[in-house]
Amino acid sequence: MVVRSYNEELKYLEKINSHCWRIKKGFQPNMNVEGLFYVNDTLEKLMLEELRNSCRPGMTGGFLPGVKQIANVASLPGIVGHSIGLPDVHSGYGFAIGNMAAFDMSDPKSIVSPGGVGFDINCGVRLLRTNLSEKDVLPIKEQLAQSLFDHIPVGVGSKGIIPMNARDLEEALEMGMDWSLREGYVWAEDKEHCEEYGRMLNADPSKVSLRAKKRGLPQLGTLGAGNHYAEIQVVDEIFDKYAASKMGLERTGQVVVMIHSGSRGFGHQVATDALVEMEKAMKRDKIEVNDRQLACARINSVEGQNYLKAMAAAANFAWVNRSSMTFLTRQAFAKQFKMAPDDLDMHVIYDVSHNIAKIEEHVVDGKVKTLLVHRKGSTRAFPPHHPLIPVDYQLTGQPVLIGGSMGTCSYVLTGTQQGMTETFGTTCHGAGRALSRSKSRRNIDYKDVLNKLESMGISIRVASPKLVMEEAPESYKNVTDVVDTCHAAGISKKTVKLRPIAVIKG
Amino acid sequence: MYRLKLTALGHPNPKSFNCEDVKEYRSVVLWLEDQKIRHYKIEDRDGLRNIDSDNWQNAYDLYQKDLVSPVADGTPTEQLNWLLSYAVRLEFADNVTKYKAVIIEEPKKVTPNVVSSNPLDNLNFSSPAFVNGVERVCALSGIGPHPDPKFRIAALAKVLKTSPHPDYPNTEVSIIKQPKDVLELIFIQNLRDLQTSINEALVAVQTVTADPRTDTKLGKVGR
Repeated sequence: MVVRSYNEELKYLEKINSHCWRIKKGFQPNMNVEGLFYVNDTLEKLMLEELRNSCRPGMTGGFLPGVKQIANVASLPGIVGHSIGLPDVHSGYGFAIGNMAAFDMSDPKSIVSPGGVGFDINCGVRLLRTNLSEKDVLPIKEQLAQSLFDHIPVGVGSKGIIPMNARDLEEALEMGMDWSLREGYVWAEDKEHCEEYGRMLNADPSKVSLRAKKRGLPQLGTLGAGNHYAEIQVVDEIFDKYAASKMGLERTGQVVVMIHSGSRGFGHQVATDALVEMEKAMKRDKIEVNDRQLACARINSVEGQNYLKAMAAAANFAWVNRSSMTFLTRQAFAKQFKMAPDDLDMHVIYDVSHNIAKIEEHVVDGKVKTLLVHRKGSTRAFPPHHPLIPVDYQLTGQPVLIGGSMGTCSYVLTGTQQGMTETFGTTCHGAGRALSRSKSRRNIDYKDVLNKLESMGISIRVASPKLVMEEAPESYKNVTDVVDTCHAAGISKKTVKLRPIAVIKG
Repeated sequence: MYRLKLTALGHPNPKSFNCEDVKEYRSVVLWLEDQKIRHYKIEDRDGLRNIDSDNWQNAYDLYQKDLVSPVADGTPTEQLNWLLSYAVRLEFADNVTKYKAVIIEEPKKVTPNVVSSNPLDNLNFSSPAFVNGVERVCALSGIGPHPDPKFRIAALAKVLKTSPHPDYPNTEVSIIKQPKDVLELIFIQNLRDLQTSINEALVAVQTVTADPRTDTKLGKVGR
């Protein structure tokens, strides 16, 4: 790797406009395209600070800074457009989290990389609305939080309460949300309001290792640990009245439920298995990459296809998982309010995936191309009239659900035409880490975190309290900075701001 | 069902016309030939004039052959439809200058009519309006010249299918945008109906297959 001083590195970075920077070729070796990243003044400082730290003598090992990772991705074979960093970008395995990259399917050298999807395959956010108001919920907030906690098992090693055997799992992996629908865990309208209609059609459970299935089976219908959560939230501010009303969000104070979860140990195992397999494929096909973590395989190779099929199965797992939790959430609410979920109008507003690779059609240099779009820690945000978004959102653009860090706020955005042309219809996914997990554990006391949430009037149920400081708001970038940057840059549009009143966490 | 065409041609009672009735059908054919088409000399129209005669059908067949009707072998309704359209065309050709003056109102009048039938059937591909329209769209999208406007439209369809839609200049915005918006809204409405029927089908299947269960004994909260 090239060793340069911070000031030399800066020569490769150019601020194009108030919210966007360009990473020029040469910043990292063999870049096929340029990089782009979106920041505002605050996030810009964090971003450059990270780069400056990594330039200090003796700084080796650990994760590369986000900008370097974006540039490394730009050097992968078959990449088109730009390697793009969203405002919540931070270091991850190979690809930065908050990085999107698209590869030309018609180029035989193009690759697929598990690092570009992430370990928690199809981690995503689902938002349920209700017709309740904050004042309906406040008197029984504690009971409701407890009821949710009882229904949705959380934490490392948690096990779900929906009985499933190995055959059920095989079917669920192949059918995704159609399985939940068939078994009666979700409503027909839920499928309509889910990215990909809750099912990747190329899923092939036979390409998934037995080990992954063993890990996954007992975990279906569990939230998991880490940054995953279920939150009862209220509408805090409406920026776009028309789009909000299309989503059934009519007034401030309206209660919604946000579920942020993924494919649990199943997806993790699928990714791990693929990385091992791909290392061999790289040697065979002589694929050179800047970083060993960018293990990849040609899309059309056996390894590439195996991964895509297994990844699709893991994506289906995640949708079934979020669907099961939707079912459990509806039960918890129905019990507390002694009303049917229908009468509480508990519809799914939308379900987004923010760790996934998908085959999509985009316009590149004036031509329609079929691309494999990797979105890691970034969310699809298609504009109005796009054929792949639900009919109810044809005029508003796809809803984009942005989960904030624990105890802060969350946002609903909509996709824009500008985002479609600039970022392949992609926007941010959340707050994005500012401190590493270990650093958070050292610097913050978990009791302070819990007390602070309590003082804000947020009920909290956690399986492992000693881990909450990893997820404390202080460990994250400010989600409002992130969302405002996306809005100002025009790659998505602010619609609604949500504020939590109860949190369930691993 | 031929009310608008009959009205346009000035038929005395277009509203009550019933094309299923043999007698009425025959008299309308005769009326068309007498008043509008005038293909035969008056004395040669006798075959058609005997509307009660069994030989009328033979005369009608011959008449159609003489007119080179493309639907001579079609059903009686198709045959009459063609005759009516032919008569309209003749009427128009006789008074081109008169009808050209009212061209702005024409689309409004015609639109409700074409909803029930295939609008393309009534399109006159050689009309100056069509040729001009094709000329304009092709200029916008960079399609080269060709004497046959249908050929150019086919080329345009190919281009639009394979590449993104061309930008149109600002002067054209309202002309293109309004119908585009209307089409989009109709499309969304149709899509919503389709999605609703899909949902209904799914719910119907669910009544047979659904059996959601939970077993709280299985639950385990993590460390």
